[in-house]
Amino acid sequence: MIFDSYEAFEAAALAPKVVVIGSGPAGITIARKLAAAGITVAILEAGGREYSDESQDFYRGRTVGDPYFDLDITRLRYMGGSSNHWAGWCRVLDAHDFQPKAWAPDTGWPIERKDIEPFLSEVHDILELPEFRADVPISDDMRWVQLIKSPAVRFGEKYADELANSQNIALVLNTSVTELAGDGSKITGTRIWSNGRQAGLLQADYFVVCAGGLENSRLLLWSNQTSNGGVVPHTEALGKYWMEHPTFEGGNAILADYDEFEVDAANEAFFSPSPAAMERLEIMNFGIRLIETPYPGAKRLIADLACSAPDLAEWAAVKLGQHLRCAAQLYVAWEQAPRADNRIELSATDMDQAGVPRIELHWKKSDLERRTILEGLRLFGRTMAEKNLGRVRIDDWLTSGADYPTNQELAGHHHMGGTRMGTDVARSVVDADCKVHAMANLYVGGSSVFCTSGECNPTTTITALACRLGDHLARKIAA
Amino acid sequence: MLEKNPSRRAIVNLLLALPFVPTLLGRPKPPAKEAEAIVEVNGWILKKSDLA
Repeated sequence: MIFDSYEAFEAAALAPKVVVIGSGPAGITIARKLAAAGITVAILEAGGREYSDESQDFYRGRTVGDPYFDLDITRLRYMGGSSNHWAGWCRVLDAHDFQPKAWAPDTGWPIERKDIEPFLSEVHDILELPEFRADVPISDDMRWVQLIKSPAVRFGEKYADELANSQNIALVLNTSVTELAGDGSKITGTRIWSNGRQAGLLQADYFVVCAGGLENSRLLLWSNQTSNGGVVPHTEALGKYWMEHPTFEGGNAILADYDEFEVDAANEAFFSPSPAAMERLEIMNFGIRLIETPYPGAKRLIADLACSAPDLAEWAAVKLGQHLRCAAQLYVAWEQAPRADNRIELSATDMDQAGVPRIELHWKKSDLERRTILEGLRLFGRTMAEKNLGRVRIDDWLTSGADYPTNQELAGHHHMGGTRMGTDVARSVVDADCKVHAMANLYVGGSSVFCTSGECNPTTTITALACRLGDHLARKIAA
Repeated sequence: MLEKNPSRRAIVNLLLALPFVPTLLGRPKPPAKEAEAIVEVNGWILKKSDLA
């Protein structure tokens, strides 16, 4: 069932067992798992069926620290959530990403990769993925890894018919939750905002917050404030340890054989470090995206020359009437060290139309991360040279210690942390089952539960964790 | 030479010849073990033999 307003949902007089807040990849996946187990679910989606500026305005906010995207463009507030602008890049966090790094505080998860592996076949169906090939070590330090460019499933579109025909799922559009009400041990209901006004309290037995890697923290921070600590009793880590995947062009490469690494349709191949190399250098995880420019013949020669002697190459290119660039560009995206200082706070002065404080995102890249990209590119360069696979040049801004470039991608629009998973209530918000500590019926889905980010795009792992949470909750309710 | 507007063929031949310039100049090659050493020069991660 799909309702275009909360009023229409109310008129149907349904009594869902579970309320899921948000209709992105996590929310829809969890709801489908519950529905398959015969459990009734209401998915509350703040936006409508399509994008609207009015809905996006609720996402405006402010960033303090390093340059970042406008918060109202870095995610989407309508049916299907941010899957509507997802690029479709897929890879699951590696087993070592779940392990603590002795040199980086607050790393390590309370679960292991094997805990989500039973759900990966479902994830492949949901995201329409082929099987991943195994990573290929190209040295003791570096691996050639696979990042699948999937068809970029738009969850709202893909599951619209299924949701409309479902007897167990009620998707309620244009219905936002301004706050959860709680008594310190359980959630008693969600306050609804619809059609520009408060529309009452929706009650259920269980609540799952799947509003995204920024909004999950915002909703819980505000709810906790209005409930005097009754929603997240242990608040020390709430909103903290927020992470992104910063992304910058870090260098160029000349390859000895441009057929050595099979590239995808975008002429890209991906490389990551071995766990041993990360430990030896005491750096975070990172991913190198090598983009080949498919020049043939003499153009290839000039393009290679452009890497080492740009002036001569430019002269030659002009003489040949060509505009060529270095034959392979290297982009680096890396894992941020989880730091409590990188956090989501509520604005003290700025509210949205429903009266909920807007986000103030405090975000900075650390010295460890700067060392990670420089040493990471050196590691890749050494491997390429030692194995005679090619030669790498690291960009001047990195070797000279200059500031980060301001005219590049900045980051991946990957919002992780804020309600991280853990066993220590002072350093985490949810437990290994994604249940908020000390709360009987409040769960969190999505990448806000990530303890660390690894180097890969998060949607595949988000979907796997959502399958796991849906499975857990279904079994708990059935018991 | 550069002002004489060389032909495309001449430019390509010049580029093809570049890797052999050290050989033509007769510069000594470093010992094999030293040649394999990795060095960083102006941001390039190179083998020492690349500089010979």
